[in-house]
Amino acid sequence: MRKLINWLKSPEWSPYAAGAGLGLLGIFALLFTDQIFGASGAFENVGGAILNAVAPSLADNTYWNYVMPAAFVSFGVIMLIGIFLGSLISALISGSFKWRAVSDDQWARVFGPSVWKRWGALFLGAIFLEYGAGIAGGCTSGLAISGGVQLAPAAFLFMAGMFASGITTAIILYGKRY
Amino acid sequence: MGTLLPALIVGLIFGFILHKAKLTQYSTIANVFRFTDLTVLKFMLTAIVVGAGGIYLLRDMGLVTLTGTTPTYIVGNLIGGLIFGVGMAGAGF
Repeated sequence: MRKLINWLKSPEWSPYAAGAGLGLLGIFALLFTDQIFGASGAFENVGGAILNAVAPSLADNTYWNYVMPAAFVSFGVIMLIGIFLGSLISALISGSFKWRAVSDDQWARVFGPSVWKRWGALFLGAIFLEYGAGIAGGCTSGLAISGGVQLAPAAFLFMAGMFASGITTAIILYGKRY
Repeated sequence: MGTLLPALIVGLIFGFILHKAKLTQYSTIANVFRFTDLTVLKFMLTAIVVGAGGIYLLRDMGLVTLTGTTPTYIVGNLIGGLIFGVGMAGAGF
């Protein structure tokens, strides 16, 4: 029992152990909820619901009626709240929780300590992420992992694209420091 | 409400695991694209291997049906991935 508690409190697990845990979670999620997981869909549900409240005629299309139903509360939205709370719990019990405006030492070392730069990169990056996920039909979790465990070709195409442009972007951003 | 409690539970465990694998940190995500830290690959591929093994076993036992929610659309999947990668490497999500 002592060992189990220490394991839950440790700040990091071996990526293989964590990955195996995620694989098991995917199996149980499919078994009990008939769905696996995803994070990006929630933003599309909520985005559609906001648009529906502001300009209903613009939200009245196939995308927000059928593909990504506009809703403030959906399976994905509740799961996203769960994801946030789950990592918060992990951070709190492992003692690694900290309030920081620039959350990563490596970022500060390479790109400087500017808060605006970091938050601007987050904001711009998130636009790319959500737009790309919308086109592809999912994100790292909702397509690459949830699709990958079902051996969906879409998941592997998505991962190929993700790594091709991710590596290129990193080379451009890091330049000589790559 | 019946379907929302499982969603919360799955999300809680998912978030917990993501933090334990350090995937909530910028450097872990950015460094996989620099080949200096392969945590993301180890994590994702282990999850896919374990998950696929279990899910296909359960499917053959007739206990689950695949969701099949992501259709194969070569141009869309690939271009979506290309756009997604820019944000992932830039922001570190």
